[in-house]
Order: sequence, then structure tokens, then C-alpha cells
Amino acid sequence: MLEITNLHVRLNDGREILKGIDLNVGAGEVHAIMGPNGSGKSTLASVLAGREGYTVTEGSATYLGKDLLSLPADERACEGVFLAFQYPVEIPGVNNMYFLRSALNAQRRHRGENELDATQFLRVVRAKLKLLDIGEDLMQRAVNVGFSGGEKKRNEIFQMAMLEPKLAILDETDSGLDIDALRTVAGGVNGLRAADRAIVMITHYQRLLDYIEPDHVHVLQDGRIVQSGDKTLAAELERRGYGAIGDAA
Amino acid sequence: MTGAIDFPVRPEARPYLDAFAGAANEPEWLARFRKHGINRFAEQGFPSRRSEGWRYLDLRGLQDKPRLPAAAETRLPEITRAGVWLGSVAKAIAERPDLLRVALEDGTDEAFAALNAAFFAGGFVLDVGPGATVGQPIEIAHAASSGGSLHTKTLINLAADSRATLFETYAGDGAYWRNDVVDIRLGPGAVLDRIVCIEEGAEAAHIGDVRVTLGEKARFGAFVLLLGGKTVRHELSVVMAGEGARCRIDGAFVVGGSDEANIVTMIDHRAAGGETRELIKGVAAGRGHGAFQGTIKVRAGAQQTDAQQTSRSLIIGRRAVIDTKPELEILADDVKCAHGASVGDLDEASLFYLRARGIPEGEARRLLIEGFVREAVERVSDVGVRETLMERLGSRLATLEGAE
Repeated sequence: MLEITNLHVRLNDGREILKGIDLNVGAGEVHAIMGPNGSGKSTLASVLAGREGYTVTEGSATYLGKDLLSLPADERACEGVFLAFQYPVEIPGVNNMYFLRSALNAQRRHRGENELDATQFLRVVRAKLKLLDIGEDLMQRAVNVGFSGGEKKRNEIFQMAMLEPKLAILDETDSGLDIDALRTVAGGVNGLRAADRAIVMITHYQRLLDYIEPDHVHVLQDGRIVQSGDKTLAAELERRGYGAIGDAA
Repeated sequence: MTGAIDFPVRPEARPYLDAFAGAANEPEWLARFRKHGINRFAEQGFPSRRSEGWRYLDLRGLQDKPRLPAAAETRLPEITRAGVWLGSVAKAIAERPDLLRVALEDGTDEAFAALNAAFFAGGFVLDVGPGATVGQPIEIAHAASSGGSLHTKTLINLAADSRATLFETYAGDGAYWRNDVVDIRLGPGAVLDRIVCIEEGAEAAHIGDVRVTLGEKARFGAFVLLLGGKTVRHELSVVMAGEGARCRIDGAFVVGGSDEANIVTMIDHRAAGGETRELIKGVAAGRGHGAFQGTIKVRAGAQQTDAQQTSRSLIIGRRAVIDTKPELEILADDVKCAHGASVGDLDEASLFYLRARGIPEGEARRLLIEGFVREAVERVSDVGVRETLMERLGSRLATLEGAE
């Protein structure tokens, strides 16, 4: 589904953050990318989602046979790429429900499907809200405005449930969550695992992986994947720390 | 009529002076006001850009091509309720000269108000008696379908403890100039909400002058949305004459093309314990030029005044301009006054968030601009009116540069 080959990325100020990433993610797989702060995890997520401010100097990312990096952010989303933000943005004045309907309908238009009217949309919303234990009142508020940390993260996964992406990238979705919120969010993500959907989880801690079990674990350090393995690698990391892995590589 | 002029006439006023004949069948008191008005205008001509209140508006287009008085059209609903009188200006001249005379007696000396006094034909008068209440918003449409200048006069008079809500729209087709003068008087404890949507024709000019006087504990809520017209100016002057009067002034302008939109407010606290809350939002795109000038004056006797003014501006693209000039003049010592102003571009992080969900860039920009203006529109308490305003805003944004 996603093949990243020798990806090099610089910030616009010239600093090189990713120094040759190779990663293959197949349909139905769950990958965890772990690494210390500053290793380039969030940069990888941002570059895949199409955020501006980065320059790809070398390498490629192919998604379902397309050159992902040449598509604008909104087209990537319409093609089924979803980024759950580490810091969901607060947008005053824009109603959550209205925002999500605009997004879903933009994606449906892109696929040549009919747009949903307010009633049809509400029916889908109600069914999915239950999955993530989100109150309907949250939908009537402005996007993320006045949401608690947990509500923001749940709202991200709720958007994922609504948009049904093929490739979901979860950027530090566990950060700032207490244990109950983490369970709810993980439950939501597990409910969205599917044979035709790939999930890439970016995280600093092993904690999230206790709830969402990955098929593959990769360790990112200083802009490179230094080790890959199955879920036991995460446990080893937890025990020995990133330093030990780095030395081994 | 022009025989008695004994002062130099400003050249740009000459065509209007020549067109002045006075209406034949009007009462003598009115003829006198009209005569006074045309003389004052002939003497002053158009306001100069050097005068503070007009520095952000380019009136040359209007000044160079005279637009002679034409008939205005005001659509009013029928209201039959004890204590409420609503009628056209023509009807008021015949039936309620008492109300009109009071309004004309003060404040016809400024250039455009004087011109308005000379020629006013359209507009309406609303009088609500003591304790009377009009529950539903009264919807009034100011239309225009010709060229020329339309001089409309509105008088709104709410007696003690009465209540009303007005929703007025200004729209039309053609290269007309609307010169609108509105007088509002609220008696003690009266409550008025007046919501105005200005969506004039693409070649039209709109100069609106709203003067309000609040009695003791009166409450006035004004909302204005400026969406269309080549040259639009909305001036609102509120005199807080009675103790404990409160006003809430909210508004927004959206200006694109090479249009100009100005909101000018002056809140004059003359009595103790008054409260002002003001929020103005401006959006300029293309080569649009918007301006907000807001003065809050607190006179020496107006202790315990509590006033807050906020203006926020959003500039889309490099050629759009917004000027903001907040001003506090405080002569009392025991007051709470604050103002804040900000000017910015669309937030990149918000834009990316929307696009990362599949929303195309133009639509994402439109959503953000709409959200920005919505904060002001949400101050309108009537749900139906609010929805109409959001709908009008939505269709305006569909053609705004950078949001299409």
C-alpha cells in the first residue's frame, strides 16, 4: 500500500531531518514507529500528510501506485490518507459537524459519490459517536475549541471513523491521555482495523502498543530506521531504552 | 429657490442645489427644514478626506459624477398592535409630524445629513408606546432599482419600557447612491435590537448615518453586516444620555474587488453606570480596503462606565488593506475601559488541518473566513435572523477573492 524508499527530508531552514527512510506497509497491517524525541517521527507523519515547510531532497513515497509526494494535502486525504494530529488545531467559529460534513462530502465528490445531506450525515455520525463515547454536544461546538486533551484525541479518531481512510497515520495519539481515555481511543482504533486498511502509529512510549497490538515495530533514530522487528521489539525497547538499540545498530 | 443664497456654493454641491425645488404640497415646517438642509449642504459640499471621520474613504467617484435625487423604495410589513405605529415617511409627514419634527430639529448640519434633510423621501417611522412590545423581528427591506441618489430617513422611537427588534436589509441594482439617515431614541428601560445587512449593488454607494440616544437603563443592541457596494460607510453614534444605559455594538465587513467599506462608531458616555460592549470584525481581499474607526468617549460625569471595544481584522492577499483606529477619550476617573485590536492573515495550521481532511484549499479558506465572521454574527440572538445573515455571508464569500 505504502512504499517509502530512501526518503530524505529537509526543513526549509536547511536542517536535514529524515536521512534515508525505507518502509513498506501492506494492506491490513499495523506498524508502530517508535523513537526518542527529535528522531524525525512527526516529520515523517507531516511529510506523508502533505504539510508545507519541508523539502524532499531524495527518495520517494508511493501510495497505491501513485507518487504520494506530488499530491496536494487535500488530494492525499481524498485518496484515503488520514493523519491523526499530535496537536489537533482549534478553529473558532467553524462548527465541528459542519466541518466534518464538508470533509466527508469533499471526499465523496472526489470518488464520484453523491454528497450526504444533513439528515443522512447525522445518521452516520450518531452510529460512530457511540464507538468513541463522544457526546453529540461536542459535535455542535467549534472544531476542538474548549475540548479537553482527551476529547481532542477522541475527536481525531472519530474523524478517522467517519472518513474511513485506507492509510491512517496516528501521530502520538497516546500523548496527553490518561489511562481511561487511552483505552477508549485504542478501542476506537482497534475497531477500525480492517483487511483493506493500514495503520501507522507513531509513538514515543510502548504504552499505546499494549492496547493496539502492532504487526511490525520500527525504531527511528536520527532520521533513519535503525531496527525493525515484531511486537517483542517494543518490549525490548521499554526494558533497555533507545540508547541501547542505537548502540546495537 | 436659489435666489436667496448669499454664500459661496461648493462646486460639487451645485447640481444638487439646482435640482432642489422643495416638495410642492408639503407643510411649511418641513419646507423650512428642507431649505435649511440644502443651504447647509451647498455651503459645505462633500466631506474632505482631511476630516478625521472621512480619512479612510475615497469619495471622488461620488463627488465627480453627481447623482441627482431619485425615488427610494422601502418595503414595510403591516403591524396592527396597540401602541405601535409603523409607516412610511410620507405617511408620517401627514399623520405623525410630531415625531418627525423632533428628529429633524437636531442634527441636520453635517453635509450628508443636511442633503438628506433637503431631499428625503423614502424610509420609515416606527413608534412604540410605553410598555408595548413587538415580539417578532420587524423585517424591513430598503430596495433600489435606479441610478441617482436615494435619500432615506428613518426614525425609531421607543417609549419607556417598550421593546422591539428590527431586521433591515439594504440591497439593489444600479449605480445609485443611498444616503441614509437613521434616528433612534430609546426611553427609560426601553430595549431595541436593530440588525442591519447591507448588500448594495456592485456599483452602488451607501452612506449610512445612525444616531442613537439612550435613556436611563435603556438597552440597545446594534448589529451590522457590510457585504456589498462599491463605497460603503456605516456610521453609528450613540449618546448614553441616561444612567445605567447599556449598548452592544457588533458588526463585520467583507470587502473585495476594489471596493471600500468603513465602519465608524462613536459611543459617548454622558451619564454614570453605562456599559458598552463592541466587537467589529473585518475581512478584506483582492484590492479591497476596509476601515474601522471606533471612539469611546467617557465624559467627566460618567463614573462607573464599563466599556470594552475589540476589533479583529483578516487580510486575504497582499493587495488588500484594513485600517483600524480605536480611540478612548476618558475624562472620568472611576471607569473600566479596554480596547484591543488585531490584524492577521489566515492561520496556516488551521488551513492545513482542514485540507488534511480532504477539503480543497478554496473551500478551506472560505470555511475559515466564515468562521471568523461568525463570531460576530453569533451575537445576534434571534435564530432566524442569524441564519439569514450566515446564508448571505456564505453567498458573499463564494465570490470573494482567495475564497472561491
